[in-house]
Amino acid sequence: MKLLQTIKLLLPALIPSWNFFESIAPSPRIQYSLLNSASQTNKDWLEFRPRPQSVPFTKMLKRMLWNPRWNESLFLVSCAERIVGNSSSEIILHSEQEILKRIKNDLLQKHQSLTATHLQFRLVFVQRQNKTLTEEVAFISRVQATIGEEAR
Amino acid sequence: MTLEAAIRLTEILMGFAFVQQSIEHLTVFSNERRLFLARLALAVLLIIGVQTAWISFLLLLLGLAILTIFQGPYNGGADRMGLLVLSCLFLAHLAQGSRWQELAFGYLALQLILSYFISGGVKLLNPEWRNGQALRDVFQFSAYPVSKSLRQLSQSARLLQSMSWAVILFELLFPLALISSGSLTVALIIAAIFHLTNAFLFGLNRFFWIWVAAYPSIIWFQARIFS
Repeated sequence: MKLLQTIKLLLPALIPSWNFFESIAPSPRIQYSLLNSASQTNKDWLEFRPRPQSVPFTKMLKRMLWNPRWNESLFLVSCAERIVGNSSSEIILHSEQEILKRIKNDLLQKHQSLTATHLQFRLVFVQRQNKTLTEEVAFISRVQATIGEEAR
Repeated sequence: MTLEAAIRLTEILMGFAFVQQSIEHLTVFSNERRLFLARLALAVLLIIGVQTAWISFLLLLLGLAILTIFQGPYNGGADRMGLLVLSCLFLAHLAQGSRWQELAFGYLALQLILSYFISGGVKLLNPEWRNGQALRDVFQFSAYPVSKSLRQLSQSARLLQSMSWAVILFELLFPLALISSGSLTVALIIAAIFHLTNAFLFGLNRFFWIWVAAYPSIIWFQARIFS
């Protein structure tokens, strides 16, 4: 079964479709909320890794060799797309876990420690309908503890 | 370029691309770090040229393990291209000295041609690409532009329509570059600039390195078929 799954993952690499940007699909944004208890209902949603206003040319040049944060963000976009796509429950769970893990890690890197006890994220998909941009919440994750045994 | 030289150059360029990718994973989670440290070491051995057949095989196994832990490619098309290059290299080593070796390496060249030609074809069939709306959407709301200021480019409708047609025509006409080594050189320089631009605007740095790693295959292929 594992072998079959691996072959399924490898096949699109060996026989690629090459239909990059065939159409521009709704685009995910990850928003997270830090909670003081698992049952907290009023939530402030913050955008995860908002884009900078601009990126200087020298930084773009440096990113040719060292771009881990952006590549991780692109992986999270893939995870978000897998969650709302026709993925198996195993893949959805894996993607949800990856997003939670990486949000938590990002927050810990920024703040050293978290005062909030729980974390949750949601996926907002942006798309153009005629001439206006619309946003739709397509997924809300489970509430994940940030400290203690449950956090692991 | 001889087949042997093209294979060796591909090994070096792909090894460099794998080193670049692997280093990016060393600062994060321990399970990733272990896998990518191993990949880094194997990629360095590939660049040096130690037991390249075995190293390609081990890199392929590691690639499958990485594919499994991320439940798919970590970096979409770039990772898939990496696996394609690696698979073709491994098969070329496996079939060394026989006609199958040329077929394995030629398959990589063929896929490289298709990577441009099919991408151009699907865009040409989409009216939103032809009128520039698709590229406006990319800048306006897709996840790719690296800064907010780049999103303002979505207002430049005429520029983006011209860019769309430039990309479509280049991608569709790419196979014609095989007519001569000179035209192929020019096409590959334009293609590399295209990937470089995507890397700057959309942060797709891994695509640049891994696509360039496949270029020796098409240079050899052109000489083999047309010279």
